Amino acid sequence: MFSKFNSIPTHMDYKGQKLAEQIFQGIVLVSAVIGFVYGLVIEQFGWTVYIVLAGFAISCLLTLPPWPMYRRNPLTWQPALPESPVETAQKPETLKKKKHK
Amino acid sequence: MNTALSRANSLFAFSLSVMAALTFGCFITTAFKDRRVSSLNQVVLWDKIVLRGENPNLILRDMKSKYFFFDDGNGLRANKNITLTLSWNVVPNAGILPLVSGNGYVSVPFPDTYETTKSY
Repeated sequence: MFSKFNSIPTHMDYKGQKLAEQIFQGIVLVSAVIGFVYGLVIEQFGWTVYIVLAGFAISCLLTLPPWPMYRRNPLTWQPALPESPVETAQKPETLKKKKHK
Repeated sequence: MNTALSRANSLFAFSLSVMAALTFGCFITTAFKDRRVSSLNQVVLWDKIVLRGENPNLILRDMKSKYFFFDDGNGLRANKNITLTLSWNVVPNAGILPLVSGNGYVSVPFPDTYETTKSY
């Protein structure tokens, strides 16, 4: 039962994280500008706050859940190396040599 | 690790910063507005608090002014259009404070010279 939940991808890739950040900053800033102008016109700061809160709610909805649009640039991992006892014994040695250089 | 919680944290922090900037902008614009609309030239002469349950029928014949005709410049003496109005606030337990203006007004001219104090 839990494996079913685990199979649902919940992560964002790096470009998705950047996109999410840009989206919420854009929405909050645009709603702030709209709210400030509206509040300035009707001379009620409360409406500015309401409009910014609306932008906050919209960007929460758009960027908090890991929507599929934030998962379109998956990392390309190296293919798994075939395991053999000789290689595993040799590899640390070569690594150490490189580090000493 | 970038989780929904960490995104919520940065979104909340960003919104708070924006809100702080907006509050400062509100303060700045009101400061400029006060300078812009300094033509508000009125002076309060009399007031009274009427509590709920009291008789709201005010008989104000031959009232003396409770406060002075303070002249915050030189607009009162020799002004030919001094308008007396009555307005009141209805004070709520919470919420906005409405300012209601009464119907009717009286306009009188003021004398060209100051008069000496009369003793009542």
